[in-house]
Amino acid sequence: MSHRVYLLPVWLRLWHWTNAALMIVLAVTGASLHFADPALMLVPFSAAARLHNIAGLALVAAYAFFVVANIVSGNWWQYVPKQPGVLRRCWTQAVYYGWGIFRGAPHPYPPTVETNFNALQAVIYWLVMYAVMPVVVLSGLVFLFPDFAPQRVLGMDGLLPVAVVHYLAGAGIILFMLAHIYLGTTGVRVTSLFKMMVTGWHED
Amino acid sequence: MAVDSRAADTKGAAPADPALLEKIAKSNAECYACHTEAGLKTPPRADMDVARLKPFIHDPKQFEASNHAGMECVVCHGQSAKTFPHVATLREQISQCGECHAQKAMRIESQFDLSVHAVNLKEKFTCQTCHDPHVYRVAQKLGEPKKIVAQDNAMCIDCHNSDLRFASFAESLTPRKTRPDLDALHAWLPNTRLHWQSVRCIECHTPVSPVKSLGMSHEIQSKDKAEKNCVTCHSQDSALRLRLYRSAQETQLAQYGFVNSAILDNAYVIGATRNPTLDRIVLSLFALTILGLLGHAAVRVVAALIRRRKSP
Repeated sequence: MSHRVYLLPVWLRLWHWTNAALMIVLAVTGASLHFADPALMLVPFSAAARLHNIAGLALVAAYAFFVVANIVSGNWWQYVPKQPGVLRRCWTQAVYYGWGIFRGAPHPYPPTVETNFNALQAVIYWLVMYAVMPVVVLSGLVFLFPDFAPQRVLGMDGLLPVAVVHYLAGAGIILFMLAHIYLGTTGVRVTSLFKMMVTGWHED
Repeated sequence: MAVDSRAADTKGAAPADPALLEKIAKSNAECYACHTEAGLKTPPRADMDVARLKPFIHDPKQFEASNHAGMECVVCHGQSAKTFPHVATLREQISQCGECHAQKAMRIESQFDLSVHAVNLKEKFTCQTCHDPHVYRVAQKLGEPKKIVAQDNAMCIDCHNSDLRFASFAESLTPRKTRPDLDALHAWLPNTRLHWQSVRCIECHTPVSPVKSLGMSHEIQSKDKAEKNCVTCHSQDSALRLRLYRSAQETQLAQYGFVNSAILDNAYVIGATRNPTLDRIVLSLFALTILGLLGHAAVRVVAALIRRRKSP
């Protein structure tokens, strides 16, 4: 019989799926705006601009909630990679994804109530949520209120660096999202981890 | 015979001969003695009707920066303007623009005839309705797109944002037309105000000029015909290259590997100002990631099948 452990509180799951939905909307509309071309099948520009602005503001609210809720609940500690041996444990985890998983080896660091994330997860989640997300959110806010952008940079419009940073950081988050969704299939069954994100219960 | 006091070697350039310049300045100073703010405050003659003078004052500085800088007032207003009191028919004697700009006027006329202004108000519209010859500067002379935008949009806004001026034209229409609210009309356009600061009304309200020598078409179109497709400008083949940034585009090279970098000097236009190298790197990363994940999944499936077959 499988072993179940309750890991994820309701607020975290609600935030996760809200964030996921917003990210998908932002990715699709963001790409439609950036690669705007009459020959491509994209969201119509005007609709994409409005949707991106609305979803962007919602993401600011969701991110603010995430940060505050993590502080209040103490969940922020989960994202901190614990020394000693972070690099070694990251390597072990990477070797599992690159080799052990094909041989049907067990997860090297299954989640527990005390430690939800393996070291590789903690490092990457921390980077994405506390380093890249603030960049996307802040550059997006400047994009939305361009009066806050510098007037000129390197003899060009001051919005240029803001736009490039927003584009690259956004692309980075979507790349993470692709890998994140795929790794969601590496539970005990393909659907187990998705189910956990709905019910809060982890199965192994 | 009228003296062409603009007899210069280069078309459109102010005369360079100092003696001629002095003669023009002296002649214009006679007009400015009355037709300026200063003249209005301290009229040179006691018997002048200041109230009648008021609508006809000009700013010499503005005129000297305009397209017609260096011209003598009487070239357009006629030699009889030198006598005071002026003859009653002085205004009717003003030269038509086409007298000097014959070829251009002919080309513009055929475009203007199709415009919403000509269709509705042909008799009330002259070149000067929009282009004040004492002030107007062609885009090339203004150089900076922001200045071009400010000047050209002011021409439209003067009427379309003033109930009084709009009514003075629209009163002859049946049914009588009241001025539509510009913000309400453009509510569909995201960042409306930002657009109005960055591009001209005519970017969307005129077709691309079929005559290359004319920067813009004079076929001003109503909202039904105006451009509403954002990607006409917000794409790599941005129409802005043929419009607001026409002259900048011709003189500037790509900067920092961006396409439409002439636009980038003034505004970051999503979809238009892109860096193809950066796009290639990002798209390659996406392709590699997706291929990598699909490959990983395929090996997992195959490995699982092999394990299942091997297990008793």
